Amino acid sequence: MEGVARVLRSGALGVDVGSALNLVAAVLKYLAAAFLLPAAVAVGYREPVWPFLAAGAVTAATGLLVERGTQDKERVGPREGFLVVALIWLAVPAFGALPYLFADEPQLARPVDAYFEAMSGFTATGATLLTDIESLDRSLALWRQFTQWLGGMGIVVLAVAVLPRLRVGGRQLFQSELAGPTELERLTATIRETARRLWVLYVGLTLVAIAVLTAYGWTGADDAMGLYDATAHAFSTLAIGGFSTREDSMAAFAPVTQWTIVVFLLLAGINFLRLYLVLVRGKVRAVARDDEFRLYLAFAAAGSALLLVELLAGDSSHGEEAVREAVFQAVSIMTTAGFATADYTAWSPLAGLTLLVLMFLGASAGSTGGSIKVVRHLLMFRIIRRELEQTVHREAVVPVRLNTTVVEDRALRGVVTFIVLYIGLFALGALGLLVDAKRVAVEVGAFEALGAAAACLGNVGPAFGFAGPFGSYEPFSDLSTGVLTGLMWLGRLEIIPVAVLLTRGYWRA
Amino acid sequence: MQIIVVGAGQVGTTIVEALHDDHDVTVVDVDGARLQALSYRYDVRTVNGNGATRRVLQDAGVAEAVLTIACTSRDEINLVTAMLAKNLSDTKTIVRTSNPEYLEVWRERQIDVDFMVSSELETAHAVSRTIGVPAAKQTDVFADGQVQIVEFDVPRRGSGADELTGVPLTEAAERAAARPLSGGYEHVVGLPLRDARIPEDSKVAAIIRAERMLVPRGDQSIMPGDRIVVIGSPDAARTWSRIMARGEHAVDDVVIYGAGATGLAIARVLLDQRIRVRLVEPREERAREVAEELPDARVYCATGVDPDFIERERIGQARAAVFAMREDAKNLYAATLARVHGVGFTIAIVHEPISIEVFERAGIDVAVNPRSVTAEEIVRFAHDPRIRQLAMLEGDRFEILDITVRETSKLVHRPFRELPMTGSLIGAIVRDGSAIFPHGEDQLEPGDRAIIFTESSRVPEVEKAL
Repeated sequence: MEGVARVLRSGALGVDVGSALNLVAAVLKYLAAAFLLPAAVAVGYREPVWPFLAAGAVTAATGLLVERGTQDKERVGPREGFLVVALIWLAVPAFGALPYLFADEPQLARPVDAYFEAMSGFTATGATLLTDIESLDRSLALWRQFTQWLGGMGIVVLAVAVLPRLRVGGRQLFQSELAGPTELERLTATIRETARRLWVLYVGLTLVAIAVLTAYGWTGADDAMGLYDATAHAFSTLAIGGFSTREDSMAAFAPVTQWTIVVFLLLAGINFLRLYLVLVRGKVRAVARDDEFRLYLAFAAAGSALLLVELLAGDSSHGEEAVREAVFQAVSIMTTAGFATADYTAWSPLAGLTLLVLMFLGASAGSTGGSIKVVRHLLMFRIIRRELEQTVHREAVVPVRLNTTVVEDRALRGVVTFIVLYIGLFALGALGLLVDAKRVAVEVGAFEALGAAAACLGNVGPAFGFAGPFGSYEPFSDLSTGVLTGLMWLGRLEIIPVAVLLTRGYWRA
Repeated sequence: MQIIVVGAGQVGTTIVEALHDDHDVTVVDVDGARLQALSYRYDVRTVNGNGATRRVLQDAGVAEAVLTIACTSRDEINLVTAMLAKNLSDTKTIVRTSNPEYLEVWRERQIDVDFMVSSELETAHAVSRTIGVPAAKQTDVFADGQVQIVEFDVPRRGSGADELTGVPLTEAAERAAARPLSGGYEHVVGLPLRDARIPEDSKVAAIIRAERMLVPRGDQSIMPGDRIVVIGSPDAARTWSRIMARGEHAVDDVVIYGAGATGLAIARVLLDQRIRVRLVEPREERAREVAEELPDARVYCATGVDPDFIERERIGQARAAVFAMREDAKNLYAATLARVHGVGFTIAIVHEPISIEVFERAGIDVAVNPRSVTAEEIVRFAHDPRIRQLAMLEGDRFEILDITVRETSKLVHRPFRELPMTGSLIGAIVRDGSAIFPHGEDQLEPGDRAIIFTESSRVPEVEKAL
């Protein structure tokens, strides 16, 4: 850190901060349009519209002003990419938090809390400070859901798809946001067209989810479901976010809805580039033959099975209900959504530990899910296998493969680095929470602290104890809330683009 | 017939040697000295210049040429030569390549060349033949490997002969098929053929004793010290080699030193036969490339001559080792070291013809020269394109023909036992893509591919009859 400061002081700066800011401002300018959706909903439900309009105006004005201030700095090089992505993901939640403040929502009255909630939204985490979700204005609640949807597929991916100026140089940005350990295969020749198709697929799937869920309401299959809830939950499902408009999360809805959510979560947890090939081009093999996809399903099945053991051993639920509860919780936590149909905090340590482990698995690379992601586990396993093999056969050359293609050593080192950093941050975060809990004398158990750190870093959302699926992070102190906000941010950007900013070499010319 | 050979290196020279007696050969090369040396030895015309140019090809008489063989060491020169020659006349073309990619594209008919030969692939096949059948002296493969022709030296220690007479050879094979095969040497060698337990789907095509070829009949027997030629299915060939090798197990684990283009091709062919392959390659970059290309092979980045390495990786336990490094001296050194550590069967790729003798004296089991293997393949095609493959055994005295039977042949639709005995033997027929090892009652059909073992002098006779 002091190295960075020294470089900054010396003036030999190798990063064009101005142009980075310029691009962030451009993104903010467009973000202002996003406030129109909740504004329209507010009009529909006769709720106050002005918080959204004001937030939109402030966002747009800031964007325009900064853009004006950094004129002639419109070329963003690959190096600035890291800074841009990091800043965008700090700035967007900041402006996205404005409606909570302007609406004078008592549960989110303080900026720290509003920022936490917004960060949890855009990073599609699903951790909440709200203790009474249903008291929220419907427009404000929908904004909360909508932030997840915007962040799910990625703001930068959207920007690459839409902003004409990112026609060149968008690759670096794209790569650092749409996460994954290896070079993402492209659907089309240009990264911009790829970004567009991803968003089209994302929007398409969301519309299908809305239609299906609404149909359940209309046909009476699920009396609790209406167009509003269908839209709200489709947003947070496809984004693998986990926010709900209901205090009881998905427990408020019928079994058929819960099963449907499981299906959509599993879909959204597939690599979208591959999902596109299957759904749009009919190449089923792109997914069916994918190593990562198979392991992803295997993980989900194993998690479900462990939870089922727990449920069948107890006598809280039986038959279809037990299976549904096990599968739903396992899939929801593993894909890093964080919906719940049962209060798993009441379950035994077996279930608790299973869920904690599932939090570290995550969905597939290139999906809207978070955490370590299945492909990294797969590669890590193969790296370890190679190490063991080379311990015996010292001269053996053993390439690590993924779907028959060889993964470069550089990418493999990236995987190891990522996992080490991830575990390190998780441990530090949990430790920080416990230290802070001692300071302000809040009752936080070791398992709760570990759970909260894992849930935020992995963008899962609900943790254990008071921060469980039907609970809230509200008891945490402001400092802890800040730490958790940071973890969500780091987790969403997959640490490395942010960690790069802490090296002196990044800033030096 | 007029033949143009472009390239007067080892391959070109070997081709010229085989063809100059019966054909008018013109040799093209950029190296005048080479051409001069060649023209002193053989009666051939020479043209000095780049064969991939129109002027030189015209000088060489491409307009009258029936066949143009492009066999320089550079693939692209060869391809351009062939393309130009095709444009200038209706000559048939043969191209030598070292790139299996070209071969693949050619097989898909994307390159307009009549015949393409890859040195690496031919070498690999030569090696795999020796490895698949360890006791074999020389083998050939027909009909995509369904029919093999294998030569064995019969070991000297054998049992005495019994007395039996008068049953045709084919029935000996039939009777052998009916009996469970014990696989023993004693049941084959020293017994009259009709009583010998000949492995199923195979025939003894010739017995060579004291430089004379005997057409095997039921009352003759294989004696220790004979050389025999066997024609049969791959399984039968393996059984034969077990019988002849006595105690040696089939090769299932091969170490290849040197992962260049040749080593890679050998590894591929062996892996296809489900043989375990380990490659030793000192260059790190290349080792990685090969490891990436061959997921099923174990690749070491090592020189392979470090005793520690040999001990640790149990190189000595390999059934066979192939030495495919670029330098003959290195191959010799590594092969000798491998033998010291217990590798039972060593095969070396030789680049200089003189090395063969050195290798022989050093006790290396087989030496394969890629250039002569390539030249041989090209000569086979040059002989008669209708004969898909033609092996020259025993210094051109015997030939194996692969001939498609014509509608008009007099031998069609007659049972085998009625066919005249002329000293030629139909070892196998390929019908609808699968091999049949004919018995007395089988008949020849038009369109069958017949694999025939015959004396060289009878080739025209046989070709006419079919």
